[in-house]
Amino acid sequence: MKSVRQAVLILLAALVPAGVTAIVHPRRPPWSEETLAPGEEKLRTVLSWGSVVLWVDARSQREYEAEHVPGSLLLNLEAWDRLFPRFLDQWSPGRKIVVYCSSRSCEMSHEIAARLEQNGISPVYVLKGGWEEWKAAK
Amino acid sequence: MLFRGQDASLFRMGVAFRYGRAGRFLMRLVLGGLFVFAGTAKIYDPATFAIELERYQLLPWKICAAAADYLPWVEFLTGLCLSLKSFERGALLLITLLLSVFTLALASALVRGLNIDCGCFGHTFASTGTILPILRNLVLLLLAGILWTKYR
Repeated sequence: MKSVRQAVLILLAALVPAGVTAIVHPRRPPWSEETLAPGEEKLRTVLSWGSVVLWVDARSQREYEAEHVPGSLLLNLEAWDRLFPRFLDQWSPGRKIVVYCSSRSCEMSHEIAARLEQNGISPVYVLKGGWEEWKAAK
Repeated sequence: MLFRGQDASLFRMGVAFRYGRAGRFLMRLVLGGLFVFAGTAKIYDPATFAIELERYQLLPWKICAAAADYLPWVEFLTGLCLSLKSFERGALLLITLLLSVFTLALASALVRGLNIDCGCFGHTFASTGTILPILRNLVLLLLAGILWTKYR
């Protein structure tokens, strides 16, 4: 019982700074809608950019061949050396690169985006929600 | 040997007692220090932590946002209490509960094939994968279990 009492006191004590965080912290998460991670964009925003977007699919070859965003290029880590030159053939400065993978929980799109930026490609964005988001909208 | 008979057994008990205390002190420091560090990293950037929680696809966004504001402070205070041996039992209970919940969440992500960042230390050590964090948490649970034996 002593351990439970002490645990409850710690939990109650944590409420005070947590409340302050929720009100004044400059990096507090918003309540109304999901926060975008650095480099992420919502589908609605990306679609408004029109034909300047170059879609990049970061999933596996099998998933890409099953279905993909029309006009997207496959570019994943497994076949980077083979696929990156093909990407460069399609890319031109001024185009906005939007990378997606399977879902909002997939980190692969962020890794591909980081790799593209390391190779001097910009601007690069990651589609929030990934392929799931695209399918749900269509 | 300088000690004989009963003196020798008392000596051995004394050595065991001293190293047992030193061992527990180190375990408390490691466990408590890790939680202070983890909590601090997430207190610095709760928005990113909320995103990482949301990626587990277990809770709606509003709960993730609330947890991102609250949990880091629970981790920080719990780790501090354990390190300073203040409210030690309560801190140990909370650490055991938190580690169990985190490990279950990671296991759930692993089973569902989610390729996510653990979110355990904010973006201080951003790494994709769930197996190593699960193994790390199991080791920490073992340390917590050893510390619990003091209260048998």
